Amino acid sequence: MLKTLYRLVIVLLLMAGCDTNNKPIESKKLKTNLINSYIKKAKDTNNTIEDRKENLDKAYSINATLDDDSFKIQKLREISFRYYHLKDHDRYKGLNEKALKLAKTISDSLEMAESYTYLGIYYRKSKSELDLALQNFHEADKIYKSLDPKKYEPKDYLFDHGKTLIDIARIQQKAKDYTESEATTIKAIKKFELAENNQYLPLCYTNLGIVAKYLENYDKAIEYHLKAIEYSKGTDKEILQTLTSYNNIGTVYKSQKEYNKAKEYYHKGLSYKEFLDKNPRRNARLIDNLAYVNFLSKDMTEIPDLFYKALKIRDSIDDKYGMATNTLHLAEYYHSVGKDSIAQQYAEQSRDISLDLKNNEELLKAYQLLSEVSNSDTGLQYANTYIQLNDSLIKEERLFRDKFARIKFETEEIVEKNQQISKENQILIITILGLTALFLLGYIIFKQQQSNKELLFAQTQQESNEEIYRLLLNQQVKLEEGRQMEQQRMSEELHDGVLGRLFGVRLSLDGINQRANDGFTEARNKYIDELKAIEKEIRLISHDLGAETLPSDVAYIDAVENMIKDLCGVHNLDFEFNNAEEIDWEEIDDQKKVNFFRILQESMQNIFKHAQASTIKINFDFVDDTINLTILDDGIGFKTNKVKKGIGLKNITSRVNQMNGEVQFLSNENSGTTVSVRVPIPSRVEELYEE
Amino acid sequence: MKKKLKVLMIDDHPMIIEGYKNTLLGENQKEYQIKIDIASNCDDAYASIVKSSESIPYDMLFVDIKLPPSSDGSITSGEDLAKHAKELLPKSKIIILTMHREDHRIHNILKNINPSGFLIKSDLTSSELLLAFNNIIKGKAYYSATVNDHFRKMMTNKFSLDEKNLKILYHLSRGVKTKNLPNYVSLSLSAIEKRKNQIKEMFSIAKADDQMLLEEARKRGFI
Repeated sequence: MLKTLYRLVIVLLLMAGCDTNNKPIESKKLKTNLINSYIKKAKDTNNTIEDRKENLDKAYSINATLDDDSFKIQKLREISFRYYHLKDHDRYKGLNEKALKLAKTISDSLEMAESYTYLGIYYRKSKSELDLALQNFHEADKIYKSLDPKKYEPKDYLFDHGKTLIDIARIQQKAKDYTESEATTIKAIKKFELAENNQYLPLCYTNLGIVAKYLENYDKAIEYHLKAIEYSKGTDKEILQTLTSYNNIGTVYKSQKEYNKAKEYYHKGLSYKEFLDKNPRRNARLIDNLAYVNFLSKDMTEIPDLFYKALKIRDSIDDKYGMATNTLHLAEYYHSVGKDSIAQQYAEQSRDISLDLKNNEELLKAYQLLSEVSNSDTGLQYANTYIQLNDSLIKEERLFRDKFARIKFETEEIVEKNQQISKENQILIITILGLTALFLLGYIIFKQQQSNKELLFAQTQQESNEEIYRLLLNQQVKLEEGRQMEQQRMSEELHDGVLGRLFGVRLSLDGINQRANDGFTEARNKYIDELKAIEKEIRLISHDLGAETLPSDVAYIDAVENMIKDLCGVHNLDFEFNNAEEIDWEEIDDQKKVNFFRILQESMQNIFKHAQASTIKINFDFVDDTINLTILDDGIGFKTNKVKKGIGLKNITSRVNQMNGEVQFLSNENSGTTVSVRVPIPSRVEELYEE
Repeated sequence: MKKKLKVLMIDDHPMIIEGYKNTLLGENQKEYQIKIDIASNCDDAYASIVKSSESIPYDMLFVDIKLPPSSDGSITSGEDLAKHAKELLPKSKIIILTMHREDHRIHNILKNINPSGFLIKSDLTSSELLLAFNNIIKGKAYYSATVNDHFRKMMTNKFSLDEKNLKILYHLSRGVKTKNLPNYVSLSLSAIEKRKNQIKEMFSIAKADDQMLLEEARKRGFI
C-alpha cells in the first residue's frame, strides 16, 4: 500500500517536472545541450535584449552546476562573450573573473591566459584603465611564454598568444609607445605565422602602418596598410579592411601634406558606396577626412558642404567622437575664412563633446582654436586652459608610459627570472652530474685501492705463510740435524768405544778360557759366544744409528705426514700415505711445497666436510719429471658436472695453475672421489750426463 | 828353545791389546817367545815402526784401522800406517784387525795393503786369532770368513765393481740420497749418476729406479 503511494508520488512529480519544462538535468551532455541552446537563443537578434540576457542568465546558472573543468571555463567565457555583445560589460567582467578563478583552482594555464586576455579586453575600453588592460594582457603573455611545449601543443595556444600580443601592441600604440608597439606587433605576426592563421594579420599590419606614420616612416606606413589589404583579400572582412586601410593611407598622405594623393585614397574609399550606406560611421569619417584635406589643400569647391554632410550623418547616428572632430574642422574652416564668431561656436560645441567624452586630444585642439578665435580676454583664458591641459596631458602620458614600463619591466623580470631559474637549474644539474661523476670516480678509485690492498694483503699473507713454513721446516731440519749428529756420535761411541772394549774383554776371556782346565771351559765358552752375540747386536745398533736414516729433506714429507696424521686423527679417518723416494723435495722450491701442502689440506677438508669417507689414500708419485699427487677417498662422491666449484676447488685449481700443473676431480656418486694433481718439475737431465 | 818374535800391536783400546796378549801369551802358545810392543795412536805406532826399521824389525804388526790420527795429520788410519810399514819393514807380516766389515772397506784394504792377515774383530775368537797367528808366522795368509766371503763374491761375479762403485752402492743402501753422495764418495754428482747408470747396465736393469738397483745389488752380494 505504502509502496504504491510512493510510486504515485514519483510519477506525479515527474509529470509536474514535464509541465514546467524544468526537467531534472543530470548528465553533462544534457546540460551542455541546454547551455548551447540558451546561448543560441541569446544570439538571436530577433529577440529583445532583455530576453537574450535572460537566456544567458539561464545558461550561466546551468553552467554553474557543471563540474569544475576546462570545458566549464570555456562555456563561461562563451556566455561572457555574449554579454559583451549585449553591452553588459560588468557581467562580462564578472564572468571572466570567475573563469580566471576557476582556471587557477584547476591549474589550467591555457584557460588562465585566455581569461586574462578577456579581462584585458574589458579594461581596454576605457582609456583610464588601459594600464589594467595592459596588465591583464601581460599576465596572459607571461603564461603563454612560460607554457611547457611538452605539456601543451604549441598550435593550441600560438594563435591566442598572437591575439594577446596584438592587443598589447594596440594599447602601446594608443599610449604613444610606438617603438614598443611595433616590436610587439612583429612578435604577434610571428605567432600568427607559426599558428598558420592569417585572420589577425590585417589588424597587425594596420597597427604597424599607424605606428609607422607616427614614427614619420610614411613609405613604410603605406606599405603596411597595403599589406593589410592584401591579407584581408578573400576573407569576409575584405571590404571593411580595404576601407579602413584606404582611410589610413589617406591620413598618411595628409600627414605628408600630399593632399592630392590623400584625396585619391579617400575617393577610392568612398567608391564603396553600397558598403558605406550600411556603415554610416565610416562613410562620415571618409567624407569628413576628404573635406578636411580639401580644406587644407585650399580646394574650397565643396567646402563647407562636405563637412556638413559628414556632420549630418554623424549626428544621425550619434557618433560623438566623429562629431567632436567634425565640429572642430568646421571651426577651423570658419576661422580661416575670418568668421570667428561661427568658428567659436563650433569650437565650443567640439569642446563640450570632447569634455563629455574625455577625449583630451580633440579637447586640446578645441582649446587651441578657441584661444585664437575668442576676444583677447577669453582667448587668454582659453590659452591658459590649453596650456594647463597640455601640461596635464603630457604628465598623464609620462605617467602612463611609466606604468607601462613598469608592467613591461615586471614581465621581463619574470622572464629573466625564469631564465635565471632555468640557468640555475642547469648549473644545479651540471653540478649534480659533476658531483656524481666525481663521487663515482672517487668510489672507483677507492674500490681499486681496496682491491689493491686486498691483493697486497693476500700477497703478504702468502709470503708470511711461506716464511712460517720455511721457519717450520728449518726448525725441523735443525732438529733432524741435531738428532742425527747425536746418533752419529752414539754410533761411533758404540762402535769404536764400547764394542772395542767388549771385544777386548771377550778376547781376553777367550784366551784365558783356553788355558783354564777346570771343567767350566764349555760353560764359559757359551757366555763368550753370548758376548759375541751382544757385540753383534751393538754393532747393528751402531750401524743403524750411524746410517743416514733420516735425510734432511725428509723434513718436508715429515711435516706433510704429520699434518695428515693430525687431521685424520681429529676426524677419525684411516689413511695411507706414500711418498716416492725419487722426489727430491729439497730441490723443489718452497712455493710448490707450500702449494702441495695447502692442496692437501684443502682436499682433506673437503673430504671431511662432504665425503663421509672412512679411508684416505694419499700418494706422491714421480713419473717423467712430474709429481703426481693423488688424493683418494672412499666416500659418497659427487657428480662432477653438477657441483658448482666451491671456493675449495677453486683454490686448488688456482694453486695448481700457479705451478703450471693440471688438476682433475674424478668422482661418481657412491664411488668416492679422486683428486689428481700433476705438476711438472724441471729436470736436470743434461747436467747428469757430463763428467 | 823358543823362537823369539817381536810384535807391534796397534790399537787405541788397551782392553783389546789385553785380549790379544791373553790369547798369544797363553798356554796354547808354547813355540814362541813373544816380545810385544804397544802403540795406541798413529804417532806412537809410526815411531815404533821407524825405530824397529833401524834396529830389529818387527816380525808382525797387529794393525787396527780406526786410530787416532797422527799429530801432523799425515797418517790418519791403520791403513796409512800399514802402507808405511810395508815400505819400512818389507819383511814384516801385517795383520789387519778391524771392526769394519763393509765390502768396500775390505776391498780397499785388500787392494792397498794386501795384508798377510785380515781379521774382522766381530768374527774373531781367541782360537781363531791363535790360528791366524800361527799360520801367518809360517808364511801362510789368513783371512776371516767374512773376508773370504768377499773374495768369493768377487770371484762368482763375472765382473767386479771397483771400490767407488761399491761405495756408491753401500751409501745408497744406507739411505743416502744420490745428490748427497758426493759428500761420501769423492766424485762429482754427474759422475756418480753416470756410475749408477753403468752399474744398472751391468745388472741388466738399465731403467730401474734406485730401489731396484739396491735389491739387485743385495741379491748379487755387493751389499
